[in-house]
Amino acid sequence: MRNRLYIFITIYIVLTDIAITALYLLNEKRVDAYVAINILIYYTSYAITRPSIPTSRVRFLNIALLLLFIAIVGYRVYEVLTR
Amino acid sequence: MLVLGINIVVVAILLAVYSFVIMDTGLLGVAISLALVGGVMVVYSTAPQDPTTNFLLNYSKNLVNVLTSSLEDLDLLDSKIWIVRRSDTTLAVFSRTPCLEDVDPGIGFSGGSPYIAIPIEIPATEYTETAPVESGEDVERMLRSLLIDEFSICRNVGVSYEDGLYRVTVIGLSSSLNEFMKYPLDPYTVITLATISRVLGARCVKLVDRRSIPDGVEIFIKVEKD
Repeated sequence: MRNRLYIFITIYIVLTDIAITALYLLNEKRVDAYVAINILIYYTSYAITRPSIPTSRVRFLNIALLLLFIAIVGYRVYEVLTR
Repeated sequence: MLVLGINIVVVAILLAVYSFVIMDTGLLGVAISLALVGGVMVVYSTAPQDPTTNFLLNYSKNLVNVLTSSLEDLDLLDSKIWIVRRSDTTLAVFSRTPCLEDVDPGIGFSGGSPYIAIPIEIPATEYTETAPVESGEDVERMLRSLLIDEFSICRNVGVSYEDGLYRVTVIGLSSSLNEFMKYPLDPYTVITLATISRVLGARCVKLVDRRSIPDGVEIFIKVEKD
C-alpha cells in the first residue's frame, strides 16, 4: 500500500511539473487552467496507481478537488455560452 | 512527507505573494498549482504507515495469543463475550455466567465461575438519535463511521434487527486483520459490540454468534440489559 502511495505521489509530481512548466512557457495567464490541469493530473495518477487509502481526509480531498474542477469547467462553459 | 508538503505550501504562498506584487497571473497559477501539490502531500502523509502497522499487528497477535491461552486455562474457550458498560469503563467479559456486572478488569471469579474482563475503548464519535432504535440505522451509521471512515478496515457494513437480535454483516475485511477471525477476540466483534452498547445505551450486550461468510463476517448480537 505504501509503495503504491509513493508511486502515486511521484507520478503526480512529475506530471504536474511537466504540465505547469509547459503552460508557463506557453505564456498561459489563466489561473484556472493551471488548477484544472493539476486536478486532472491528480485523478489520472490516482486512477493509474490506485493507492487505495479510503480515509475520511482523502475522501474529502477527492470530493473537494472534483467540486473545484466542476466549478472551473462550469465557469468556462458559461463564459463561452454567454459570449 | 508531511514536512515536505508543508514546505511546498509555504513556498507556494511566498510565490503567490510575489506574483501579486509583479502582477503576473501565470506565476500565480504556478503558485496555486504548487500549493495543491503540497496540500495533497500533507493529506496523504496522514495515511497509515506500513512499518508501524506491521509492528502493531505482530504485537496484537502476541496479546491475542496470551488471551487465548488464558481462556484455555480457565476453560472459557467456548464461553460468550459480553460487553458490560459501567459509568467510567466498558469491559469485554468472557464468562459462563450471563451479564456479570460485579467484575473488575483482569482475571477473577464472580458467581462461582471464572471470568476475564478486558477494558476497551473505542473513539468517541458524536451520536445523535435519528431513527427508531430497533431499525438498526443508527447502529449502522456509527459502525460505518468507525469501521470504514475512521479505521478503513472493511468495505461495507449492514445492520438488521430480527427477532430481538442485531445481525451485523461486515463485508470486505482488511486482509491483515482477517487472521484474527480464528481467535476468540477479533477487532470487528469488539468494535461492533461496543458500538451497539454505546448507541443503545445498553449496560449488557451479548455476542450470540459469529459466522464467517465469503469475504466477510456476520455477527449476531443480543441486548440483555438496557
